[in-house]
Amino acid sequence: MDDSRNIKILIVDDEKGLRTGTKRLLESEGYQVECAENGTDGIKAGSSKEFDLALIDLKMPDVDGIKVMKEILKVHPDTICIIATAFASYETAIESTKYGAFSYIPKPFTPDELLHQLEQAYSRRELLLEKEKWTKEREERLLEVAFEKTRLNTIINSTSDGLLVVNKNGEAVLFNPSALKFLKLENLVVEEQIMDKLHPEIAELINKFLKNRTFEKKSYSTQIEMEPDQKLFVEATSSPVPHPDGTLAGVVVVLKDITELKKIELLKSQFVSMVSHELKAPIAAVYGYLKLFSDSTIQLTENQKQNYITRSQIRLEGLLKMVNDLLDISRMEMKTVNREIKEIDLCEIIKSISELYQLEIKKKCLQLEIKVQEGTHFLHADKDEITRLITNLLTNAIKYNRIGGKIEINVLSSNRYIVVEVKDSGIGMKPEEKAKLFTEFFRAKNESTKNIGGTGLGLSIVSRIVDSYSGKIEVESEYGNGSSFKVFLPIEIGHSA
Amino acid sequence: MDTEKKKILLVDDDVDLLEQSKVQIEAKGYSVVTAENSNEGWEKFKTEKPDAAVIDLMMEEHDSGFVLSYKIKKESYGKNIPVIVVTSAAYITGYKFDVSTGEEREWIKCDEILNKPVVIEELVQKLESYFAEKVI
Repeated sequence: MDDSRNIKILIVDDEKGLRTGTKRLLESEGYQVECAENGTDGIKAGSSKEFDLALIDLKMPDVDGIKVMKEILKVHPDTICIIATAFASYETAIESTKYGAFSYIPKPFTPDELLHQLEQAYSRRELLLEKEKWTKEREERLLEVAFEKTRLNTIINSTSDGLLVVNKNGEAVLFNPSALKFLKLENLVVEEQIMDKLHPEIAELINKFLKNRTFEKKSYSTQIEMEPDQKLFVEATSSPVPHPDGTLAGVVVVLKDITELKKIELLKSQFVSMVSHELKAPIAAVYGYLKLFSDSTIQLTENQKQNYITRSQIRLEGLLKMVNDLLDISRMEMKTVNREIKEIDLCEIIKSISELYQLEIKKKCLQLEIKVQEGTHFLHADKDEITRLITNLLTNAIKYNRIGGKIEINVLSSNRYIVVEVKDSGIGMKPEEKAKLFTEFFRAKNESTKNIGGTGLGLSIVSRIVDSYSGKIEVESEYGNGSSFKVFLPIEIGHSA
Repeated sequence: MDTEKKKILLVDDDVDLLEQSKVQIEAKGYSVVTAENSNEGWEKFKTEKPDAAVIDLMMEEHDSGFVLSYKIKKESYGKNIPVIVVTSAAYITGYKFDVSTGEEREWIKCDEILNKPVVIEELVQKLESYFAEKVI
């Protein structure tokens, strides 16, 4: 016998000679043998651990062999039992197999008879174990499949993209809540005809496949405004679903909410159109003057010529400034600004800017007053950006001021912020002008701003810089009565960045 | 033959374009008065009594030009002179005004709407045909 099988067998017999003899025989054949000298012990031994085989004597003084077998089988139904009996008869054989014995062996038996029986019994045991293993595996797989299915359903139902599967007959076979939301359907039943309920463009996407009835590996996409006024834009993509045999089973439609993308797209094209318009104006002006110079039918005076050259220069300067501002904005947008964050002295920056604009300030006879609260003028930031920010605010305060007016610059601290306030006694703003203040190219257009030049990008740049430092900006203004811009910048840039 | 130069009122808030148009129209033998906004345009109309007015549509407001042309056309003197509104609205919005027929005629009180950029030769031609009609 093959020792590696390590077959465990229990012998239950009240005859000591037979027990020990059989034990010795079987051990020599490689079996692992345990013995019980009566029925009670046999039940105990056979139930407490699982034996491959059990050889049980039918007649024992305390409990008979059939009862012992039944008790063992209750706990270990795969233990193969053989009943040994000296009273071999047809009836006992029938009875023992009826209660679950694999076979019976008449006593006395020869070693060969016993070993032959045990071999057969063990084959049976192996078959049982194999069957058990397969059953268990099958159950596990079924469980796994069920789990997979619920998991897939959960994923499909919780995804924000809409999913709709339609079969060849145009019936809905799978859909998730997002799909119902995008398709504006209150409820939908599986296998319900859906084609009439769909937005015509989506139905068209599905029909492209259903009409052909053949499976083609390609997708169709379209963008649909499901709710007017930019409220809901959906991108629908339809793809064919194949049968395992390669024919068309149905169509899957994936619906994506692209409302935000559409809004950004619109903003972008509006911005581009606005930029083009703003760039075109100065170019057209200069081009117009050049045309006057080259027109032989027009006689220009020296005065006119000089005036047109000056005007052209002014418009080109403005154009150049605007292009520079736009480049700055685009650098900020693309975050390609090379920042050098270090401790900077606001006092120093404000002083050097106001010196730079001394001429303009004097021209308008303005009075500039700078007040700095003790110990508040140090800030961690990029010097160029802060210089740009304060320059834009100060030049506005100069440009939109009245002759003989006043400009105040106050630096103070408030919580973890440093506040820079630029206050002027200028023309102020109307509420509707204030609302558009930080919009690109917006410039207050009225009697008093008629002769003030600018790109309309200064405050837009200010607000971008303030945003990039996680700061904020507050504006107070009354039409005709001056404006005040308060910029709040975090003292430690690290805390907010 | 009318030896007196015809006087044209030009109203546009684009000062460069205003100056350029003025010089070009003067070179065609007209006298030109200019205004940089609709208020000034209205004042110049009353004081200068021009033979025609050419007004930019978008100045302080989107429809400043229509408002001014409406005011001029309501006036006893103004209703007999040609008023032309020039605009780049078609270029910006794609909308084309049509005052020759239809309901726009009802509320737009000018005689002609020209798209910017205005070709001076075309403008002068229009003005000439209006002046010629008046003579007949």
